[in-house]
Amino acid sequence: MKCYICAEQGRDREAVAICIVCGMGVCMEHLVRKDVELWRGDYPFPARKLKKAIPRILCVICNEAYEEG
Amino acid sequence: MTLVKRFLAELVGTALLVFFGAGSAVITLMIARNAARPNEFNIGIGALGGIGDWLGIGMAFALIIAAVIYSLGRVSGAHINPAVTIALWATKRFPASDVGPYIMAQLTGATIGSALFLICVGSDAAFVGGMGATAPFPGISYGQAILAEAIGTFVLMLVIMGIAVDERAPPGFAGLVIGLTVGGIIVTIGNITGSSLNPARTFGPYVVDSMYGINLWQFFPIYVIGPIAGAVGAALLYDYLAGE
Repeated sequence: MKCYICAEQGRDREAVAICIVCGMGVCMEHLVRKDVELWRGDYPFPARKLKKAIPRILCVICNEAYEEG
Repeated sequence: MTLVKRFLAELVGTALLVFFGAGSAVITLMIARNAARPNEFNIGIGALGGIGDWLGIGMAFALIIAAVIYSLGRVSGAHINPAVTIALWATKRFPASDVGPYIMAQLTGATIGSALFLICVGSDAAFVGGMGATAPFPGISYGQAILAEAIGTFVLMLVIMGIAVDERAPPGFAGLVIGLTVGGIIVTIGNITGSSLNPARTFGPYVVDSMYGINLWQFFPIYVIGPIAGAVGAALLYDYLAGE
């Protein structure tokens, strides 16, 4: 699979991941990998942060949308 | 969450419960202060609105319980009731080391909530409304009162187990369903024992009443034994019924 954003820019680069939101194939330049904290627990148990975070990969476009809120 | 944060959340939650819940009983009694009472079973709540008075009080409890569960449930678990904390501990769902601090927070919060209500309303809250304290109604024996409190708290804890503790429960409904359950229980048991279902809810108003020379402490064991027995019994029964 090729990087979609690179293809739009006329470049030919292999994709290394898929954006979890839009499903686009992306190269290392056009992906954002973040660790997302995970909390478990609700009434009647206090919520606690799990020791391990969940890794998440987005393309730069979806990441910008998330950052805007 | 640190224990300090959870302690504060339990304290605030229980204070809100007593301020708005027990406070609604005080207001009902103050409104009916000079109203004619049709019989001695009627102490003023019900003098003007009949069973609707109890429905109003039940709704005040229902809404504040739902509000506290949705706002503070993730912080401390929002037990706001020593009987719930003990039942969760008894079924190995809550650490023994946290039981003491939680109960301390609930008792302190209930006292603060009752004191704040007194400050807002004045001494009539104690002299006319008795701070919304619970006691057996005329003709109700000590044993009957314990049994009624145990049955009421049994229903409350059974619902908590089914709608919140059980991982198969649908998410998001706990606050609403538990609040309305308490409201419904109050409509029936209110005119029997005051329908405390919660040792802390009785403790706070008793402390403030004591400052005005009103001594109801001889009834306090009713609101400790009944709710704890009912809650623990319901939790154990649910585990047996819902287990494989």
